[in-house]
Amino acid sequence: MEMRIRFRLNGVVTEVDIEPHETLLNVLRDKLKVKSVKYGCGIGECGSCTVLLDGDPVVSCLVMAAKVDGSEVATPDYIAQTELGKAIVDSMLEEGAVQCGYCIPGFLVTIYAALARGIRDVDEMRKAMVGNICRCTGYVNIVRAVKKTLKRIGSQTPRNAVERPFR
Amino acid sequence: MYNFVGRSFPRHDGFAKASGLAEFTFDIEVPGMLYGRILKSPYAFARVGRIDTSSAEALGAVALTPDDVPDKLFNPRLLSVEEDTYKDWRVLAKVPRYVGEPIAAVAAPTEDTAQRALEALRVEFEEIYDPILDPFKATSPTARPIHERILRGGRWVEVRNNIAAELRYSEGYLETEEERSSVVVERKFHVPRRYHTQLEPKGAVCKLEPDGTLVVWTTTQTIHNTKILISQVYGIPMNRIDVRKVPLGGGFGSSIHTNLVTLIAVGLCLKSRKPVKLVLTREEDMVHDHVSFEFYMRVRAGATKDGSITFGELENVIDVGAHQVQAYPILGTSLGWFISLYKWRAVRYYGRSVYTNKVPSCAIRGYGAPEITWAVETVVDELAEELKIDPLEFRLANYRGKGEIFWGQGPTVKSVIRSDGVPELMARGSELIGWKRRESPKVKTGRFRRGIGVGRGFHTSGAGGPLSGAIIDYTGAIVKVNEDGSVDYITALQDHGGGTLDAHAKIIAEELKIPPSRVRIVWSGTSTTVYDVCTHASRGVFAGGEAARRAALEVKKKVLEYASRILDAVSPEALRIEYDRELDDAAIFVEGAPDKRITLSEVARTAWQRNWGSISASVSYRATVAPPSFTVYFVEVEVDTETGVVRPIKVVAGADVGTVISPELAAGQIHGGFAIGWSWAVGDEVSYLENGVPAHRMSLADYKLPTSMDLPSDDDFVVVFASTYEPYGPFGAKGLGEAASNPVIAAVANAIYNAIGVRLYEIPMTPERILRAIKGGD
Repeated sequence: MEMRIRFRLNGVVTEVDIEPHETLLNVLRDKLKVKSVKYGCGIGECGSCTVLLDGDPVVSCLVMAAKVDGSEVATPDYIAQTELGKAIVDSMLEEGAVQCGYCIPGFLVTIYAALARGIRDVDEMRKAMVGNICRCTGYVNIVRAVKKTLKRIGSQTPRNAVERPFR
Repeated sequence: MYNFVGRSFPRHDGFAKASGLAEFTFDIEVPGMLYGRILKSPYAFARVGRIDTSSAEALGAVALTPDDVPDKLFNPRLLSVEEDTYKDWRVLAKVPRYVGEPIAAVAAPTEDTAQRALEALRVEFEEIYDPILDPFKATSPTARPIHERILRGGRWVEVRNNIAAELRYSEGYLETEEERSSVVVERKFHVPRRYHTQLEPKGAVCKLEPDGTLVVWTTTQTIHNTKILISQVYGIPMNRIDVRKVPLGGGFGSSIHTNLVTLIAVGLCLKSRKPVKLVLTREEDMVHDHVSFEFYMRVRAGATKDGSITFGELENVIDVGAHQVQAYPILGTSLGWFISLYKWRAVRYYGRSVYTNKVPSCAIRGYGAPEITWAVETVVDELAEELKIDPLEFRLANYRGKGEIFWGQGPTVKSVIRSDGVPELMARGSELIGWKRRESPKVKTGRFRRGIGVGRGFHTSGAGGPLSGAIIDYTGAIVKVNEDGSVDYITALQDHGGGTLDAHAKIIAEELKIPPSRVRIVWSGTSTTVYDVCTHASRGVFAGGEAARRAALEVKKKVLEYASRILDAVSPEALRIEYDRELDDAAIFVEGAPDKRITLSEVARTAWQRNWGSISASVSYRATVAPPSFTVYFVEVEVDTETGVVRPIKVVAGADVGTVISPELAAGQIHGGFAIGWSWAVGDEVSYLENGVPAHRMSLADYKLPTSMDLPSDDDFVVVFASTYEPYGPFGAKGLGEAASNPVIAAVANAIYNAIGVRLYEIPMTPERILRAIKGGD
């Protein structure tokens, strides 16, 4: 029983046929071939598949694809190209926050979302990241990258890559 | 001193990884590929009868049963020489020996069909046996043999009393030394099975080229050993297998061996003649694929009144599970770590690896060192306390340092210690943590109690040595200068994420005096690289980096030879080479002759235009030593005596890694090493129900991994590097990855003791266990 959904993916209106039981993670990875969204657990526990849904960070493995009809979805590969995304990625590279690299796109999305929402406090940022598991870094250099990004962007609120839903 | 070594540069794969564009095994798709699924044994010990595949095949799936794969025993890890390789695995089992052992597999054009085909397989079990889960009951003469006979060095050996491997060793006169001792401490320790929790579950993708060559992408720490194993099992010539290197989403030891999923994917691909993708779900990876070894240790050690260590005894029983990955080698390295920690005048060791009906266990970061170090560092702390000697002084007086023999990876891998930063790290670390303010636990009161502990450890840098021992350890590198002076670096060596390959690029750049950005790290496969054994044993920078340096050195010789022709110098020796910051290139020149100057790029272009040939080198390198990298960690913790919860307050992590090639990435190894050690100390544990099924629902949330809120923040984490130089390492560098995690359990345990005045001899030190210890229970 297929159904068609229409949503904006990384700024581009996208239509795709889905099964009602399919998750956003599966549709992104398998049907739309967006491999920047990583599978880590499939049950919402590791944060590796985090994407922005209407500006909020969500684990795409727990979002039914049918639900995103009419929404705005942004994935790590796209976020990395935005002004704020670039600032985060540059900070990550300077601080050595990237190791095996499997969980890190999820962190990018989470950090992006928190900063875009205006969070500027480091402890708040650490709290925002509790849903993202990393086994390589002990989070130290990731937190350093967050601090560096905060310094980079100062008090300004960078333009959010994700605009309002277009429904 | 150096142009690039020791300076920070963004890693070459950093943007690809951060943006998610880096392609891992999980992300690879091949047109027309089938999706595989594995049928796993629901029983811990059984005998399979008929497998009916007709319903699965009716759905359009290809089915693979034990009869479809070569009936060949193998060991998925090929690091040991053949004589020391114990083989007891099959691709698919007729006698499954653990819950989750693969019995059959299917592949179909969609994941849905594959899953339905999997569910349509009908398996008859002829017999179901009671599982043997306890390694002490397993060795009873009345216990059912889990394996009757296995292959060692190509010969059949009988397995007696479910003992997978044994190792005894002694040195010196233990009884005499014991008589001399004023204090003797004896303790028993238990380390449970732990899950590696690499973020990428295991998987493989394979396809056949039109000429029959098998191409494989898989989660592995060694592409060449994966190639060799596929060749051994399926009888394919090695030049018809190309295992491609892809980024690995974490290994921590779980992919030193070739994951079973790879061999099953190959079987499905060969039978269907179609590309196949076979990846594990997190649950499958966690419940059925791999765990670390479980240790039962007994340590006995003594010291004289004036504080010199006399003897050490270690009994080490390891539950290896249903098959051998490293059952024998881990006994040797355990002994090696033990003997290399202190200057025991006499040693007695008995190690025994035992089969049980549980998931086969394998190496985890440190390969036994974190566990042995915890046990020894606990006993050493207790000896110092009884003798009323400061634990730091006691360690400094008795540890094996410069000039002593280090055992590297066991009895066949010995070398003399030539660089040793322990005294420096002890001095600087104790200052930074405030060792002097450390009080006896007896004076501490109140609900929240803080304690400071120290742990000293080390790890080997590779498994090289002057003699060809029980372990294979060599590597290779190809360095090629293109016609415009840009450089390609081609290696089989895998980077787990530590930045090993970036360190290599920097080493090549340093040798050739060109910027590291000019060196491209090429990701290729077994067909286009020379042999590298495996990224394990913290050898990536030490052995792989030296191979890269030697290849660069050969290239440099050729560059200088061509330059001497161009510059009309009497010989290449008349030339100097240095990094020219302005031109951002290597400048080659004759001193005192300003017109006799040329860049490396110009040399490359000229060599091309004048038909002098390619500037390239391919080297194979075997390190003749395996030097230890020392780590001294000071940890302050706070114990909530009402809940038993332990919280890290401050970490001062000192590391002697010789020359630091990449400071921020090296610090990252130390942070990550602490994080994994912390979770072993207070959280990680895999246990089983009586039927051999894991005790709790296995998921990452249930497994309680530390999050960003559970570990020390960057302000409370100080990294100290010793100022040492290892004469055998590339530009003085040693290994790091495992040294970074080896002293952690010890330091945390000693800190907990210093807080509450009670010692725990079992990890993880969970709130329940800590409360029980405080209340004086068992």
